[in-house]
Amino acid sequence: MGKMRDKLKQYLKPGYYEKYDYHWGMTIDLDRCTGCEACVVACQAENNLPIVGEKRFKERREIKWLRVERYWEGEYPNIKLRFIPMLCQHCDQAPCETPCPVAATYHNQDGLNTQIYNRCIGTRTCAVYCPYEVRYFNWFTYKWDEPLEQQLNPDVTVREKGVMEKCTFCIQRIRQAKDHAKDDGRRRVRDGEVTPACVQSCPTKAMVFGDLNDPNSRVSKMYKNPRGYKVLEELNTLPKIVYLKKADSDV
Amino acid sequence: MNKISRRDFLKFIGAGSIGAGAGLLYGKSTKKTVELLLPQVIPPEDYSPGIATWYNTICQQCGAGCGISVRTREGRAKKIEGNSNHPVNQGRLCAMGQAGLNALYNPDRIKSPLKRTGERGNNSFTEISWDEALTTLGSRLGNLKIQKHGDSVYLLTGGVRGHIDKLFATFMEAMGSDNYFHYDFTHPFALYEANRIIFGEEIIPYYDINNANYVLSFGADYLGTWISPVHYSLAYGHLRQGRGNQRGKCVQIEPRMSLTGANADEWITCLPGTEGLLAMGLAHVIMNDGGYTGSDQNEWMQAVTPYSPSVVSRQTGVEVRDITRLAHEFMKHQPGLAIGGGHTEGNTNAVASLTAINALNYLSGNLGKPGGIIFNPEPAFPNMSIKRQANYTQMLELITAMTNKGVDILLVHNTNPVFNLPPAAKFIEALHGVPLLVSLSSFMDETTALADLVLPTHTYLEAWGDDIPEPGVGFPIASISQPVVKPVYNTQSIGDIILALAHQIGGELPVALPWTQTEDYLKDSWKKIYQERTPVDATAGFDDFWKAALMSGVWGENKTRPLIKFDRLSNNQIQKIHVSQPSFAGDEKDYPFVLLPYLTQTFYDGRGANLPWLQELPDPMTSIVYSSWVELNPKTANRLGISEGDVLEVQSIAGTIRAPAFLYPAIRPDVIAMPIGQGHSHYGRYAQNRGVNPMTILAPEVDDTNGALAWSATRVRITKTEERIRIIKTDGVTRTLGRQILGNNSVHT
Repeated sequence: MGKMRDKLKQYLKPGYYEKYDYHWGMTIDLDRCTGCEACVVACQAENNLPIVGEKRFKERREIKWLRVERYWEGEYPNIKLRFIPMLCQHCDQAPCETPCPVAATYHNQDGLNTQIYNRCIGTRTCAVYCPYEVRYFNWFTYKWDEPLEQQLNPDVTVREKGVMEKCTFCIQRIRQAKDHAKDDGRRRVRDGEVTPACVQSCPTKAMVFGDLNDPNSRVSKMYKNPRGYKVLEELNTLPKIVYLKKADSDV
Repeated sequence: MNKISRRDFLKFIGAGSIGAGAGLLYGKSTKKTVELLLPQVIPPEDYSPGIATWYNTICQQCGAGCGISVRTREGRAKKIEGNSNHPVNQGRLCAMGQAGLNALYNPDRIKSPLKRTGERGNNSFTEISWDEALTTLGSRLGNLKIQKHGDSVYLLTGGVRGHIDKLFATFMEAMGSDNYFHYDFTHPFALYEANRIIFGEEIIPYYDINNANYVLSFGADYLGTWISPVHYSLAYGHLRQGRGNQRGKCVQIEPRMSLTGANADEWITCLPGTEGLLAMGLAHVIMNDGGYTGSDQNEWMQAVTPYSPSVVSRQTGVEVRDITRLAHEFMKHQPGLAIGGGHTEGNTNAVASLTAINALNYLSGNLGKPGGIIFNPEPAFPNMSIKRQANYTQMLELITAMTNKGVDILLVHNTNPVFNLPPAAKFIEALHGVPLLVSLSSFMDETTALADLVLPTHTYLEAWGDDIPEPGVGFPIASISQPVVKPVYNTQSIGDIILALAHQIGGELPVALPWTQTEDYLKDSWKKIYQERTPVDATAGFDDFWKAALMSGVWGENKTRPLIKFDRLSNNQIQKIHVSQPSFAGDEKDYPFVLLPYLTQTFYDGRGANLPWLQELPDPMTSIVYSSWVELNPKTANRLGISEGDVLEVQSIAGTIRAPAFLYPAIRPDVIAMPIGQGHSHYGRYAQNRGVNPMTILAPEVDDTNGALAWSATRVRITKTEERIRIIKTDGVTRTLGRQILGNNSVHT
């Protein structure tokens, strides 16, 4: 454990990630987002999320790495509905990482909060610590009705009972882009070369994903948008997703 | 993940894809014995283990005609994404489109041709061979043709376009029958008619939301279900944040907040069915403030006189100051768009309302300019399918013919009238008069369950076809649909079935349709496009052209339509612009609420209900999954002592259904709303026996002008029952309660 603590101290040092190639981040423009949930299905398709069935849904055992939350403002007739896509924020000081007794969840060198499935023993502590409630536990081993399993993405593990899972920023796509870059003889992945499934599908282009270490990447520029804020910033989790507030109309 | 055994591993890959597993094992075993395991003796050229192959094709989940790229690995489709070459969706795709994989690999697809064995509707079928199926149908059709009774063959399809539509038409013509119809419940009949009245063409133009500064939508849920949601969503994103400081404003007028309403800057309600009156009120303000100075000014003045803001305010329930303010804003922030759809299209005055909304575009001079309404040039090949859409009244004619034994064979393809017609149409009863009902469908839907012969079709991911998106994108495009995987079951593509039937029947049919494969038919049809329209690169032969078209998935031509000048409308046209009060089935005293059935982003008109990803996708507005519900205003609920989950009896003059109550904060207190899509009695394990279908209590009200079904014109009463169930939804607390989840106070840009 001492070793782990040392490591952790290292992570928390400012500038730790800068020496690595990438520091992945995302922005979500709530002024563009319409709440259509295309991203939710994209995530389900890409990451082999199970079809849990009505009964499990009723028990609130659903698994959606990315969900769209909705908040009503005001009362009829002056009422508004606001949407906010909620997924793992890949916090740089992630509260979920410290309590894991087996270090199944950790921060990788790209700044991603990752989950090691075969290390996870299912204590579910991380899910309790996560203030964004974006960690999902496999209470059951889910089955795909034949032949639906033919759709499963071979690049992503199918999880079993007893394992915690969460958004990975589509790490398999990042991996693939890095491989492509390597094949091309490039040291770095180009901006825009990696798009997680949700970002790729978004019909309004509300989501932007990229490398925060690269000051010229689109996401770095969007990070500086004056409408930007981080959800539950006050907890000092240093989330890596910046949301851009809904704007008011000038008219 | 625990230790994976080899057995588990194979299970994940899929029992059917031993080849894939073997391929990977092969990689491991090469070091020792090269000869032992080969994935395939001669693998297909586009098949290499571990490497994904992408195919461009067309999404056919709704009528928007988006282009898709399907990722396949080892011969299995893995993911659907938007085709970034395609001008309609530009690489993006909605939830429904992405769930197409659930249709392809649906466990409840019809796996081989079926023949009915028991009574109709008993769901007793026996599997037969394709030979038997085609011979049975072919000989019946052939006999009718020989007896010169070809006209007693009717073909009813969903919304096919392009050359498959032409194939159907040619087939039916050669059969000697002109009874070829489309039936799509979601078809915007009123919009086509209204556009014909004002623009003189029965078309849907290009609504340039992209460049608009003001979008005034009367019920059109353009971000959710209206016409081409992905395209309009792209445009909406651009309107919001893609133009620097010029952020456009969106106003939504509707009795129940739709997804578009939630995203609008302003959401205004008016009495159901009075959207057109409100539009006339705005036109009145525009005319009286001198906002329009065309040469037909006097005629317009006359047309809008009865709709003064005070009168309209009484009729619509919208305050006078809002009417004048909206009119002023609309004129001030040009270019702007006035569009109508959704429930505006479901009333008895729908055509008149949409005509009035069109008039706003005319008066503000938004026709033919960026940010307004742009007219599309001639499509790549004629789009006849719009003309073939049968509305409710035309469907009634078909039903009458069925009842009077005028229909010997009814072929139904990809449409589900049993589910999507109100029971008052008596479609099921009329089937007694039809000796042979043939279903050409991939799924056992309600109509297919009543069929005598079922010829299962490929899903769109397995079949050849093509499409011209309607509405167009301002320049002519056409896209090709190609198979991305081998057929999963013993099914055939609809094109191949028709061609096989043509050969089976003989006579002039094989002359008119000499092809045996849809692919060849398509290629020959596209040769015409190649010859007529590609002089730019004439050096490349057709094969290169065809390959290029297949690879990019879409073909386009840089050609726009010259601007049509609308200097003045004829007196006759302007006089037609007159909106009357909507009428509703059921007395207001007995039936105090107007029922608004609405299309959902997930199930659309019910066709998506068999896809598990969509069943598990929380409804965007309520977060409810797996069921039906009745939306009512919390105040109404409070008055009636109803809380969430109380099962309500919803009764109209046409029938009664039961569904749990959901307190929806953004709906008028005098209306209730229900999603369409659930309530299937068939249609596979994910859809069956789940929720209710509000279509079953709709009264057969029709539009005054064009006879289309007025599906929002039924009044209902609600009664609380003793029963109470827990609605399954993902939302917990739906207020931020002071937490800064959505950011601090909103800022101006």
